[in-house]
Amino acid sequence: MKKTSFLLILPTAIFGAILLYIVFYNVAISFTNWSLLHPIPSFSGISSYANVIHSFYFPTSLIHSLELSGSAVIFGNILGIGIAGLLYFLSSNKARTFFLSIIILPLAISMAVNALIWLWLYNYNLGVNWLFLRLGLPYVPWLTSTSMMMPSIIIIAIWAYTGLPALFYLASFLGIDKSIIEAARLDGASSFKILRKILIPNSANGFIVSTALLFLFTFRIFSIPYILSGGPTNIFMQTLVVFSYYLFTTEFFAQASALSTIIILIATAIVIPYALYGIKRWIKK
Amino acid sequence: MMRERRVLSPYTKSVLHYIALTIVSVIWLIPVYAMIINGFKSNLEVASSPVLVPPSHPTLSPYMAVAHVLETPIINSLIVAVIASLLSTILGSMGAYFFYVLSNSYFRGSGMLSNFLFSLIALGTFIPYEATLIPLTRFIVDINLLNSYPGLIVSMLIFYIPTAALLMSLFVTVVPKSLIEAARLDGAGDVKIFFKVILPLVIPGFISTLIFIIIESWNNFFLPLVLTTTPSMRLVPVAVEAYTGGYGTLYNETFAVATLASLIPLIIFIFLGRYFIRGLVALGGAGKGV
Repeated sequence: MKKTSFLLILPTAIFGAILLYIVFYNVAISFTNWSLLHPIPSFSGISSYANVIHSFYFPTSLIHSLELSGSAVIFGNILGIGIAGLLYFLSSNKARTFFLSIIILPLAISMAVNALIWLWLYNYNLGVNWLFLRLGLPYVPWLTSTSMMMPSIIIIAIWAYTGLPALFYLASFLGIDKSIIEAARLDGASSFKILRKILIPNSANGFIVSTALLFLFTFRIFSIPYILSGGPTNIFMQTLVVFSYYLFTTEFFAQASALSTIIILIATAIVIPYALYGIKRWIKK
Repeated sequence: MMRERRVLSPYTKSVLHYIALTIVSVIWLIPVYAMIINGFKSNLEVASSPVLVPPSHPTLSPYMAVAHVLETPIINSLIVAVIASLLSTILGSMGAYFFYVLSNSYFRGSGMLSNFLFSLIALGTFIPYEATLIPLTRFIVDINLLNSYPGLIVSMLIFYIPTAALLMSLFVTVVPKSLIEAARLDGAGDVKIFFKVILPLVIPGFISTLIFIIIESWNNFFLPLVLTTTPSMRLVPVAVEAYTGGYGTLYNETFAVATLASLIPLIIFIFLGRYFIRGLVALGGAGKGV
């Protein structure tokens, strides 16, 4: 390896350095008291962290974030396995790609647009409730009842991101040696049994990737609660990232940075093990 | 293990199989269906018509009414997304090839360097952008690029060069080592090998990464929300947000805006969807299969 080889990494390294600078700059701000009332920041230890954690909004937004990401991980994995199973046993490759594309389609549309569409689908009289009425189901008070607000967001997230687990489980399933499945077939095993006994137990990689990505992508969902509630102030839809934006707009800069540091720590705790043990081993080969 | 239970004919099974997939697909397409049909409803019809009922007298007037609103944002988004994704993909690919070279060379600290850099690009790919809000805005203000194309592009490069490096490092692994060694024996440096040997061989992966980042940058809501200050600089997702308008307004224009805003990603998805899917697969570290 020559010295000039390092030129290759230079652009990535420069922008990586900017990213690190931003992350550490953020940590530095979080140890000050910078806000509308203190326009000239001065060092104040961990008081911003204490203020943020003891604020009324922190526990609720933390719970909302965990509810959102936790539900997306659970239901995403379950639906992903189900859909991947249905796709795996299709005999036609064309049909498989076609149905898979439909499940992945929401990932190509902006979350801001998705939020806009669902805002109307959740309309009490004109939205999906209209269909529910015709199917003999009760009306659901989607965005009109505070207890239904987070479930409404979770449904959008599941709809938007289930394409990922479906894709990764399908990739895992397709990577399993065909001869094992042929042998099970000859033994008279049903498709469902093959899924349960062979495909799922051999899809640890699909599970790791799906879980990590579902968590990371839903953890940073911003536009859905922001657009459904018309801003960052509705506490029933406030997730951690929305709360930090709220602190920013109300000019509690140090507190916003303290919360951002917490958010980055949570994300990093998943990203780094995932990067080093989940993805990087594929590159070593 | 020859247990025979309810015996369904293979034909019935296959029909049930397709019915199950069709039901899932129909449910999944409801929002897209709603988005497309409702932009064709007239102001008169929209007041009483449920969102899932197609228009009785389709009209183009909502599209006419909103087209001029989205004209500037679409041009802005095209400029920013195309430049940011091309730059990200080329520069990130170079980084990816560096990882490849690094993982095949053994000097003191090469393993640690590689792990550190790889963690960094993964962090750049997956970090919640919202958590970088204050220092990022300060940084863009400090370099005097707030509310400008270069400012938006630089901010996207911070997150998308790592994304491209991550995706490309999987696509680059397919290049056989012997090819690189042969080029080295001819005296070529790694930079030259990258452009002359590697890049031509990984074009499908390159396109997948490019398509993936075009769609991601086109759809990014948060960065343009905080880094633009005037309506003339707005990108599409932010312009769309102005159409939430609450339930008091007529929804036909809202859906027309949503459809126009999604047109470019949807066209890309329909014609180049397999590249987008391959990009997603690489994001999960599984380059094989599908």
